[in-house]
Amino acid sequence: MTGGLNKDFDWVVAKFEEMIKRETEVSIAIPTIRILIDVIRKSNSTTVVGLQKELEDAVKQLKSCPYNQSISLSSVCDSFIRFVTKRTELDFPNFDTCKSNLVERGEQLSNKSSMSRTKISQLADKFIRDGVTILVHGFSRVVLGLLLHAAFQGKRFSVIVTESRPDSSGYKTAARLQAANIPVKLIMDGGVSRIIDKVDYVLVGAEAIVENGGIVNKIGTYQISIVAKAFKKPFYVAAESFKFTRSYPLNQSDIENLKNDHISEPFKACRSCSSCENPEQLTIDSPTLDYTPPSYITLLFTELGVLTPSAVSDELIKLYC
Amino acid sequence: MEKQAEKQLEKQLESFILHLKRKTVVGSYQVSRASAELLRQWVHKGKWGNAKSLIDQIKIIGKKLMNAQPLEFCIGNIVRRVLFIIREEYLTFFRNKKNGLNNDDYDDDDFETTTSNNNNNNNNNNINSSSNINKNNKYSNVMLQDDPIDDQEDIDFTETFPRLKAAIMDSINELIDELEGLHRNVAEQAIEHIHSNETIMTLGCSRTVEEFLKEAARKRSFKVIVVETAPSLEGQKTAISLSKASIDTTLITDSAVFAMMSRVNKVIIGTHAVMANGGLIATSGTHTLAVAAKYHSVPIVVCTGLYKLCPLYAYDQDTFNNFGSPGEYLKFEEAEFLENVHSYNPTFDYVAPDLVSLFITNIGGHNPSYIYRLLQEYYDARDILEDE
Repeated sequence: MTGGLNKDFDWVVAKFEEMIKRETEVSIAIPTIRILIDVIRKSNSTTVVGLQKELEDAVKQLKSCPYNQSISLSSVCDSFIRFVTKRTELDFPNFDTCKSNLVERGEQLSNKSSMSRTKISQLADKFIRDGVTILVHGFSRVVLGLLLHAAFQGKRFSVIVTESRPDSSGYKTAARLQAANIPVKLIMDGGVSRIIDKVDYVLVGAEAIVENGGIVNKIGTYQISIVAKAFKKPFYVAAESFKFTRSYPLNQSDIENLKNDHISEPFKACRSCSSCENPEQLTIDSPTLDYTPPSYITLLFTELGVLTPSAVSDELIKLYC
Repeated sequence: MEKQAEKQLEKQLESFILHLKRKTVVGSYQVSRASAELLRQWVHKGKWGNAKSLIDQIKIIGKKLMNAQPLEFCIGNIVRRVLFIIREEYLTFFRNKKNGLNNDDYDDDDFETTTSNNNNNNNNNNINSSSNINKNNKYSNVMLQDDPIDDQEDIDFTETFPRLKAAIMDSINELIDELEGLHRNVAEQAIEHIHSNETIMTLGCSRTVEEFLKEAARKRSFKVIVVETAPSLEGQKTAISLSKASIDTTLITDSAVFAMMSRVNKVIIGTHAVMANGGLIATSGTHTLAVAAKYHSVPIVVCTGLYKLCPLYAYDQDTFNNFGSPGEYLKFEEAEFLENVHSYNPTFDYVAPDLVSLFITNIGGHNPSYIYRLLQEYYDARDILEDE
């Protein structure tokens, strides 16, 4: 696998690591775009094709580096490269102006991406009314930002968070919400249908939004969406538009190829939880992601607007064509 | 002279707001017509230098009108349509000018200095080959952002074009024509949806539905079951009007909806507003009807003009609702003995989009999931007007 990597771009991984460690709160799109802009800046190539090749090499490095924890990284990179190739039809007096132009557009894009969470918070604001109870699954910075934004405005609402195994990211969400004085209750993943009648709606983030308006997200999301539908509760998704991915899963196994190979499955049988003598001998399958079809999703909050699942394909076409 | 015209406009606005508040102008259609007329007057006689100041003025007026009667969603819709028209016309002029120049530069500052010199001679040569190139340019801008908005964010609507006003007036006149013709346009599609010997159920009193059924009755014979729609009993009016047009009409009470549904082929209703997700804000009782229809797998067809399309989201039953006086079903004298009894008379129901099968609008039939597309076609995302 490493045979395909261009050694000239090792710095990309180092920088990516540094940026991700420094700014844990930003979405993956921003460091990625910044690095790709740097690639353009440092590039010695004199043709667009050459530039494109260099970008592709850099992207390859990024995708295979161990700090790439998000499946939306490749859609960010793809759209950035697309953006470069599309510009080739333009006539510039020389290649340097073309390059500086690209860098400028890239900067704009990075600014826009950093604004997107604020915008989502504003759009979703009206959906958080006083007195509502919201069920949240997993840890999503967009969802967290949205809830904190609402709490900051003095809205009174309570949140129920699932434990979100196997990485138990729900604890992180709950702690952060509690720190902001939002009433939080933590429940087991299996307890969703037990408490769903107290919930007004479900709100989750997304790892990726796919072409038909469905989402790929933390394991358990699909289950919750089915429960929500059975109880006729709205199911909302909050995610930035860079998570739009060109893939069309038809069933759960179709999302396997979206995953990064190098991310190891963190789930292991826990001795303290099981009374089993030799849990190591059991075969354990623990997928980390699942796919929620569009029919279970009420609305998606993105910085492009509040979208119905059927509007997603339209937006995707706009982004990629 | 100019001052006088301005005063007159102000006066017109104030009196219309009063009419709205006193509910002397009621019904989505009447209100929309009146709002469109008022805005047309304002564009025609008002004082505005460029598109931006006009947009700002219309926004202010729009907000005043919307506040006068917040649940008449169509006021806001008409205001948004007019704003959209202004933006569109401005952009047409703006693009034509750009095209005439063959200017590929993206830097706006540069662009403006060069354009102002050649301002006059390029209004006419916009249909040359350069428009194609520019279209490509337009799409090459697309990256992570939706292009039209992206594109327009850089445009500040401050340039002046001599023929802009006339173009805007033309488009507003078209909008008013559309309003005038919409009942006709909806009714014309009746033949495609109502077949011989069918049984149709309807409720409430909607001019669009009434004309739709009457138009179908000219060619086909079918039965209509009308729900009386307590407490307003508007359904009774519809029943009388339909039977006068010699349609086989049956009047039932609201409680008989479920029982009668099994023999119905189609439910055809009007609505107060269509929300952004394809849901309805409609007369109370509609939700019951819709659920009963769903249970029996009877398709629900909603007849509505495009002016009822509203870019807002209804979050639940209470978000957009109004409580009317209980006097219609509980006499004041009787209420005296019911001191400890609460009584609510909600005006509207929110009907979720999955209960609706089809919208018949003046531009054709649409699926509820297509509504968001229509919204993008007729309104500008910056003109939501709600949260500002």
